[in-house]
Amino acid sequence: MTIKENIFENLRLELRRGCLTLAVLAQLRQEHYGYTLRKALAERGLEIDESTLYPLLRRLEAQGLLSSEWREEDKRNKRFYRLSGDGEGIFVQLLKEWRAINASIDNIL
Amino acid sequence: MDLLDRYLQAVKKHLPWQRQDDIIAELKANLEAQLEDKEAALGHPLTAAEAEDWLKQLGHPIQVAARYQPQRSMIGPALFPFYLYVLKVAFLWATVIWTIVAVVQIAAQTPSELTVLAAVLRVPGMLMTTAAWVTLIFAIIEFVAARCPGKFPMLAPPAAHWTPGDLPPLGQQLSGGRKPRSFAHALTEVIFGFLFLVWWLLVPRHPYLLIGPGVLYWHASPFQLAPFSVLFYWWVVGVNVVQLAWRSADLIRGSWPRPRTAQTIVVSAIGLIPLGLLLSVPDHAYVLLRNPALDQARYSAALTSINLSIQWSAVILCAISVLELLWGIGRLSLDRYRKHAAAMR
Repeated sequence: MTIKENIFENLRLELRRGCLTLAVLAQLRQEHYGYTLRKALAERGLEIDESTLYPLLRRLEAQGLLSSEWREEDKRNKRFYRLSGDGEGIFVQLLKEWRAINASIDNIL
Repeated sequence: MDLLDRYLQAVKKHLPWQRQDDIIAELKANLEAQLEDKEAALGHPLTAAEAEDWLKQLGHPIQVAARYQPQRSMIGPALFPFYLYVLKVAFLWATVIWTIVAVVQIAAQTPSELTVLAAVLRVPGMLMTTAAWVTLIFAIIEFVAARCPGKFPMLAPPAAHWTPGDLPPLGQQLSGGRKPRSFAHALTEVIFGFLFLVWWLLVPRHPYLLIGPGVLYWHASPFQLAPFSVLFYWWVVGVNVVQLAWRSADLIRGSWPRPRTAQTIVVSAIGLIPLGLLLSVPDHAYVLLRNPALDQARYSAALTSINLSIQWSAVILCAISVLELLWGIGRLSLDRYRKHAAAMR
């Protein structure tokens, strides 16, 4: 990887980081477990590595933005996540912020 | 699948023990579901090579486990700039204090190149110890602030409670179009001041450092220095230690660009003391004969000539120092008068 590519990759990851959280919160308005959440996001064009998504779910849950429960499905115990009450409030605020940033960028461009 | 279980076991090893079973159970469920999908898409169970490729894509077990940990840093980004600043200040202070202690220690022993070399070789160890203590203190501050946020406001980074009113005033405008001293200039003065001090401390043991090959002649000559020279020597050491400490303090405080008129006056005044000593030696007998009974007749004229030249050198040096002192006092008075006049306008 050249220095330029490396700079781009770092900036791209920085740009994506916040968006991923927003996308995960948005998608978890419906209940999912890790793998189906990843598939759902990928189907909508947002690929996330397992090693990024699964720890992110844990962090968001620790922050009280998600709630989770272990449940059996297809003879396998899975941890299902969904947006918590606090998470919904934060999600609305973040979405507003993201739209404002988007609109500003559009205006600048 | 054996390889997946081995992978999960490797990840588990690097997870915090309180949560490792829970995390591994969830990761296993997710990865097994993904594996089923993969195998369904391929129409056959993954071969060993395919399974290896897949697990390799997931990432190294240590990296995967690390992502489940909170972001960890010994000193966080909010505190780090202050840590670097304190580290620099601590290095400078440690060097100044160490230099003074080393000079006193060297002076207490018989100065030799070995004692100086030993002192210089202790510098890296001293700096590492300083860095270790500063780092440890900041790591503790970071640890406490992260574990108990808001409980110890005094431990918050200074950025959290600064006010613009605390900013230092603008640097003084130097009168007479004088340029402020640069950092490089100030640092060079400190380094050369230190080197001069080391050189001066070595001179009694190695006089060739002062008079070069002339030392051979001196040892063979019938002359010797008068006892006053010891007192003179230590006064020169004292003046230079004061000057070095002052300049180092300027460097540490960041006040090196300011005019040093007061400092010049004080150092010139202290510098006059050894010169005064030199001029007050009875009969200006700086150099004596080792064996006056034998050599008086033969070397009397040479002795008078040597002492006279030393006396005149001392007079000239003294005159230069007095002029420097008067110049400094004049400049300080002029600066004060200008400031006073500007304030009256």
